[in-house]
Amino acid sequence: MHPILQQRLGRSAQYGMLLIVLVMLAFPIYYMVITSLKPPGEAYRLPPTLWPLNPTVDGYPFVMRAWNYLRTLLNTVLVAGGAAAGATLLGGLAAYGFSRMTFVGKSALYSALVATVAIPGMVTLGPVFIAYNELGLLDTHIGLILIFMSDGIPFAFLTLFAYFRSIPRELDEAAWIDGAGLFSTLFRIIFPIAMPAFAVTFLLLFIAGWNEFLYAFTLTVTPETRLLTVRLFEIPVRADANTTPYDLIAAGGVLILLPLIPLLVRVQKQLVQGILAGAVKG
Amino acid sequence: MTISPDVATTPQSFGVRLRAMASGPNSFAYLIILPAIVLRLTYSIVPLVQTVWMSFTNRSITNPGQFIGLANYEFLIRDERLIGSLAFTLIYTFVSVALEVVLGLMLALLLMQNLRGRWLSNFIMLLPWVMAPLLAATVWKIMFYEDGGILNAILRDLGMIESPIRWLSDANTARVSVIVVTVWKNVSWCALIFMAGLAALPRELIEAAEVDGANILQRFWFVTLPMLMPTVYLIVMLRGMAEVQTFEQINGLTRGGPGTATETLAVYAYARFFQELRYGYGSAINLLLLLCSVTIGGFFAWRLYRANRSGL
Repeated sequence: MHPILQQRLGRSAQYGMLLIVLVMLAFPIYYMVITSLKPPGEAYRLPPTLWPLNPTVDGYPFVMRAWNYLRTLLNTVLVAGGAAAGATLLGGLAAYGFSRMTFVGKSALYSALVATVAIPGMVTLGPVFIAYNELGLLDTHIGLILIFMSDGIPFAFLTLFAYFRSIPRELDEAAWIDGAGLFSTLFRIIFPIAMPAFAVTFLLLFIAGWNEFLYAFTLTVTPETRLLTVRLFEIPVRADANTTPYDLIAAGGVLILLPLIPLLVRVQKQLVQGILAGAVKG
Repeated sequence: MTISPDVATTPQSFGVRLRAMASGPNSFAYLIILPAIVLRLTYSIVPLVQTVWMSFTNRSITNPGQFIGLANYEFLIRDERLIGSLAFTLIYTFVSVALEVVLGLMLALLLMQNLRGRWLSNFIMLLPWVMAPLLAATVWKIMFYEDGGILNAILRDLGMIESPIRWLSDANTARVSVIVVTVWKNVSWCALIFMAGLAALPRELIEAAEVDGANILQRFWFVTLPMLMPTVYLIVMLRGMAEVQTFEQINGLTRGGPGTATETLAVYAYARFFQELRYGYGSAINLLLLLCSVTIGGFFAWRLYRANRSGL
């Protein structure tokens, strides 16, 4: 076979494989979206349709009312955002300290911080639940923010530690020689330079908080404090129906995933780089 | 920028100040590192110690708890439901991580071929990864619907099956189904990390092997893969610790069923601790879960450390 023809065939095979993989990865999400656009009758139609015959968005307002969507969305943004900001700030401060300074107990503290990653959330949740119950932190957003924050600290720390080690020390030295204090070196020189790394860390933690279920489910009680993902467990039911409302569940799924899409699009490139930098170097 | 007066009037070189910092306990260093460490340890080590203590008691919602020694652990080894969930957790973790690594590496190699449409393929690839585990489970549950669900309909139209597959109601099929969902959700993350690992490999070695007449499979097996081992260990460590504590996918798909066929340690611990409110026994199960996670994390962290040190 002619080499160029062979090469072309090889390329075509690669594109063919890529197409198959992408279809398999995307199909469940595609099916969720079209199911959410089907009228109730069609959602149970046999055989199921791959394209809504009479597309409708009627399911969405129903789910939004049943879930009190705007309130829940606000709760989720508050908790995920607050926790991600806190973890990025505290993790970043610690990362800077570990990357630039020597102090007693440094390696022990480093090990302690990193080793806690191996403790499953389920193991710590029990005592936290009991303590929250006694302290009145159960069913509060501040309680959720604190535990989400603690959960995000090792990731923020390791990502930003790798990043700070890649910034030359001469920058700090120059600021020092110019007579800047420790805090102003940190907040006016180092943090602004590190802003892209901070942004990626924040966004990854925000997504993690948005998607968290175990803590959010266990540590909240009333509908007013609940977050979006937890609502997936409360299937909205139509008054006259006794079948599982697939169209409504799918609409709920879209309502949870959709707000993350612009975020994903906007940071996709940095996101990829951020994961790579943090995971491989750290 | 304002210059603080004490610094401006006592000019010291960076070296002098750095040495001053290094010479003793440094309040500024502690000031910036301790908030993160204190918060993290408050939410990890403190509850861990409490869990260890509770596992030696019969504490429950109605009982403040007496010390009962190893009674919970004696019950643990005779608890058939526990043995079943431990076995399933280990098999589930092993199979999921193995598939994620193999398929993730293949996907990474494919995506490294400089194909067109990179933005779109990255975006589609990231979608399953950006979804909540519970949402992924919910979406698949709609597709797994047995009497007329889309998966059975497609397989029937392709002539691959005669009667509907009982995705979630047959014990063994359900075990496979939950693994399928987990691999679908996490394979992209593995591929991303592999792409980073592959990109960092020195090209000269692979090219040298090519000059020496090694074919593509030989180049991969004898040159690329050995150099990629640190990345493999990293992925196995992180995914292993994540899969061993799987809770949300199982709850979204099967709630441990049918029967207890797909019950993981975390699901079982949750049932004892939060549904039956038996804090003592739930804590003992949690410590078994911790042991699994620490073993996986510790072993592969050690392999990773060794592989990095040997210069690979």
